[in-house]
Amino acid sequence: MGAAVLVGTRKGLFVLTSDETRRNWSVEGPHLTGWEVFHAMRDPRTGVVHAATNNWVYGATAHRSPDLGESWERAEGIGLPEESGLTWEKSWHVEPGHADEPETLWLGGTPGALFRSGDGGSTWEPVQSVIEHPTREQWNPGAGGLCCHSIQVDPSDPQRLYIAISAAGTFRSDDGGESWAPKNTGVAADFFPDDNFPEVGQCVHKLLVHPAKPERLWQQNHCGVYRSDDHGDTWERLEGNGLPSGFGFPIALDPADPDAAFVVPEEGAENRVTPGGRLGVYRTRDGGASWELLENGLPQQAWQSVMREGMSFDRLDPVGIYLGTQSGSVWISPDAGGEWIEAAAYLPTVLSVEAAEWP
Amino acid sequence: MAVILLPSLLAREAGGEGRFEIDAPTVRDALRELPVRDLLFDERGELRPLVNVYVNSVQADDLEAPLEPETEIRLVAAVAGG
Repeated sequence: MGAAVLVGTRKGLFVLTSDETRRNWSVEGPHLTGWEVFHAMRDPRTGVVHAATNNWVYGATAHRSPDLGESWERAEGIGLPEESGLTWEKSWHVEPGHADEPETLWLGGTPGALFRSGDGGSTWEPVQSVIEHPTREQWNPGAGGLCCHSIQVDPSDPQRLYIAISAAGTFRSDDGGESWAPKNTGVAADFFPDDNFPEVGQCVHKLLVHPAKPERLWQQNHCGVYRSDDHGDTWERLEGNGLPSGFGFPIALDPADPDAAFVVPEEGAENRVTPGGRLGVYRTRDGGASWELLENGLPQQAWQSVMREGMSFDRLDPVGIYLGTQSGSVWISPDAGGEWIEAAAYLPTVLSVEAAEWP
Repeated sequence: MAVILLPSLLAREAGGEGRFEIDAPTVRDALRELPVRDLLFDERGELRPLVNVYVNSVQADDLEAPLEPETEIRLVAAVAGG
């Protein structure tokens, strides 16, 4: 089994492949030409590649390929119910369901909506409990719209799900998506003039559950980096101690080390570029108590931006970390951040990277 | 019978077929017979605002117009973007 990273761009999907050393990469593509690929993944349960796809003329949808990109099928019409008064605007993220439910998938996007597929991604049903959430009137769209961009399934409990919406915050379901409780205690919303710790309205940029320690969650937020050790019930803010800024979009983890996380800070909301005029990844190995700059191989003169889906990690040992920039480069570290290799350059604007096993 | 011509992206999404012959009462009905109808219309049945429909080389402003025999319908994406 080889390594791959699916690279979603403004102009189609690229697939980068390597052997497990992850040092020499080949670029294949583009697939899905004409489509903006906000996110793509290869379902580890079935091997099917799924993509969240958008076109500025033809709207938002999802595609899947059962044969590694040789052929693609578009999902049947995805839409929101008329009584909601909402229409489907953007497909942001497609996530496999629990390992015990191989035909279940989740699709999130704008306007703050979640879909479930029970047939492997052929058809999608809107999740009413998200559409009708009692706090929806308090949600506000961020610069990317009111996007449901993070979907996480607890590997130890198929009934426990998480979603994150900008700017509504993090929500947890303990009943397979029937109901959702806000999980934003301790997460700041510094942009509000009065209450900076509301029940909802936080601008979470990316949310991840640690695959081996599922009570531990990490989030990169508009207002800081956070860790939770109680399934999101409470959050601790982690910046300082080496992290130059709490503002950033993506976050990556190490499946073998629950205390490790990787972020790419940006100067701040008003100047969304990497600080210090360089591209730097920051890593913690102590649960966020301290952060160190990783720069070996990364450009030392650079003003870069990495989007919320622009970072990923694999399941190999040592963990590989993947990074895609808006300027069209894909950087890969085959050794948990020790060294970085430019696996591809001059791609269209990278919207997402997702590591995958590849035959 | 109308002939409907699709631009290349829609033709790929229609399984590689860019030309359809469809018999239907109105222009809208004909478009809704296409395998890419979800890309032309949103979930409310509204034509997406950047999809232009040309009927016999004239931009259509009424999709409910009866479909005359030997009509050519051409779908054209709005010219914009980058």
